[in-house]
Amino acid sequence: MTVAAGIGYALLALGPSLSLFISVIAKKPFLILTVLASTLLWLISLIVLSGVWRAFLPLKSTTWWPYAILIITSVGFQEGLRVLLWKAYKRLEDILDAFADRVSKPRLFLTDKMQIALAGGLGHGVAHAVFFCLSLLTPAFGPATFFVDRCAQIPFFLVSAQIALAFVTIHTFSMVIAFNGYAQGNKVDQYFVPAIHLVAGMVTLVNFASGGCVIGIPILYLVAVLTLIHCGKMVFRRLTENRSRQGNFQ
Amino acid sequence: MESSILESIGSEMIGVMSPVSICMLLVVLLVYTLSSSSSSSDAAIRTAANLVYQETSTDSPTEKLEGALLNALVFVIFITLITFLLVVLYYYNFTNFLKNYMRFSTFFVLGTMGGSIFLSIIQHFSIPVDSITCFLLLFNFTVVGVLSVFSEGMPIVLRQGYMVCLGVIVATWFTKLPEWTTWVLLVALAIYDLVAVLAPGGPLKLLVELASSRDEELPALVYEARPTVSQNERSGRSGLRLLVGGVSETRSVELQALSRGSADGSENHGNLEYTAADVENVEHERNSEVERLPLVGHLFREGFLSSDGSSCEYSTVVDNRENEIVVEEMSPLVDMMELGDEREQGGRRDGRENDIIVDKGIKLGLGDFVFYSVLVGRAAMYDLMTVYACYLAIISGLGCTLILLVVCGRALPALPNFYHSGNPILLLNSVVNGAFCCWDSNKPVNVLIFSEKLHCQRNTDDFVVDGFVNIVERIST
Repeated sequence: MTVAAGIGYALLALGPSLSLFISVIAKKPFLILTVLASTLLWLISLIVLSGVWRAFLPLKSTTWWPYAILIITSVGFQEGLRVLLWKAYKRLEDILDAFADRVSKPRLFLTDKMQIALAGGLGHGVAHAVFFCLSLLTPAFGPATFFVDRCAQIPFFLVSAQIALAFVTIHTFSMVIAFNGYAQGNKVDQYFVPAIHLVAGMVTLVNFASGGCVIGIPILYLVAVLTLIHCGKMVFRRLTENRSRQGNFQ
Repeated sequence: MESSILESIGSEMIGVMSPVSICMLLVVLLVYTLSSSSSSSDAAIRTAANLVYQETSTDSPTEKLEGALLNALVFVIFITLITFLLVVLYYYNFTNFLKNYMRFSTFFVLGTMGGSIFLSIIQHFSIPVDSITCFLLLFNFTVVGVLSVFSEGMPIVLRQGYMVCLGVIVATWFTKLPEWTTWVLLVALAIYDLVAVLAPGGPLKLLVELASSRDEELPALVYEARPTVSQNERSGRSGLRLLVGGVSETRSVELQALSRGSADGSENHGNLEYTAADVENVEHERNSEVERLPLVGHLFREGFLSSDGSSCEYSTVVDNRENEIVVEEMSPLVDMMELGDEREQGGRRDGRENDIIVDKGIKLGLGDFVFYSVLVGRAAMYDLMTVYACYLAIISGLGCTLILLVVCGRALPALPNFYHSGNPILLLNSVVNGAFCCWDSNKPVNVLIFSEKLHCQRNTDDFVVDGFVNIVERIST
């Protein structure tokens, strides 16, 4: 993989999050801090998980179910962390509101809350992409590329970049969905997020089959698009509700 | 629509974090490009940091460890002596000597260390430059750097840029130290820092207390996070700032209008100052009030400190007699807090060398830049993922330090217990953690463990391919 190809793969995986970062996050310092904190949290979850699973790895068996267990535990742990993150965010919101009252500025708008959730999700997603895609790219600069037997059609790095992009999208927007779900007590949204995460993780198991990546990646992108659509619909609904409520006040 | 508070909170933290990040990024890039290409030019350098013991790769680990410990001990003693010397010099008011010494050392660092780094860059990219041009460029670069360090007339951006530059150069230089010495040295310096800043009679503590009692700038190389004004403008400016900063927001609008009115008259400068002094008095009364506010206020007010970036929505232009001064609408209580902090907090800062809050925003000692960047730069020699983890750990540690800076400086009855117990541990953890994740990858065995961790995690929810681990390891070796 040449340097140009490496940059291309990196942009493929992280380009959307980069533009999101520049257009939304970078203007507001607090959101940058949120991204950093959430990245760190994801990293800690990674270290804890790998510390626990260290005893059983590497899995020598050729069957898929140990990997499934691995995925289920990991997703479970990370979803648990999401609940913790929500609780922490809830306290933070109270603090921010109290502070806004004190300096007589308006409280957090609905869009602000959503942006905080977006920043949190983006942190998770970026951490994911860096560890699962960039970490493969950086040691592999040189005049060749690499194919895997099980997926002979696409270069390995391209596959990893594509998968990373899908996961970044899912992580980023499922955080928005989850926070809104928690805020409104909407059970569907609350269960939608872990389900999506688990399904996306499980879909990667398809790659085990020979030539599986041809099927697995489209399914993964289907899941990502589903997340996007759900998130978009929900945000649109809440914004219109909010606007009509504000309209009633006036 | 009024802007929400999200836009202003935390800008000060970002103001400190972004130069640190830039510095680390540059060091990593430098180390990554230079170390990968020219392993032959890794000639061992001889500095104060490895006077006693010169590490060779054939030594046994115990020998290396002992040698590294000795090196670190000598270096720390050396630094302690120098710092005490500085304190003594400063105590007897040799400020000019100190400043000139700092200028000289800046010249030296930029000229020789920077020069050698430039040379290796030129060699690595085979840039066609003749020696005379190169010398001229280097000389110009150096002279401007020296001028920018303590003189008032330079644009703040230039000074900040040179501070980052100095940090990058020194850090890159320090990454050439032998491996074990670097690690032991980093740990030793962290401990030294804690002692020197926190212990009663610690040299840095003495220095900072002395500086704040004299109400002077510290004659040291520190990074200023916020743009300041040059000396001749300062009186008018600070008066205005006090004026604006000293009142609550609703009233400040009127006062701004008032100050604009009075500034229009050419004779009214003294008057303005008088008003400012008045407000200052009020402000000191208010200080006590501020202290009683709960932690959270402080915490986030600290976030407001910079207030020259996004939070100056209400900035108003005052046509003064001398200059056009832009008065920033600062978050109202910040200035007071800074003033109060100067005395109370000066000596009790936590964490690293020169994190000082004075009346011009947060300052970060250049030593911290170097300290962080050496850590990251050393990590860059192994694996970029380690760099990433280190970066996050360091930045979070820095964030905690900044929060602690505000939290620990004063007695806060409303402080939740959690912060009492949690924060110092968090700070220590992040420092230790930062060292540890790199320390882990120090030895090849641990590199494997670390990358194994990553691999196993990779398997957890991503692309799972047979023989994948082997392949990646083959690529990376």
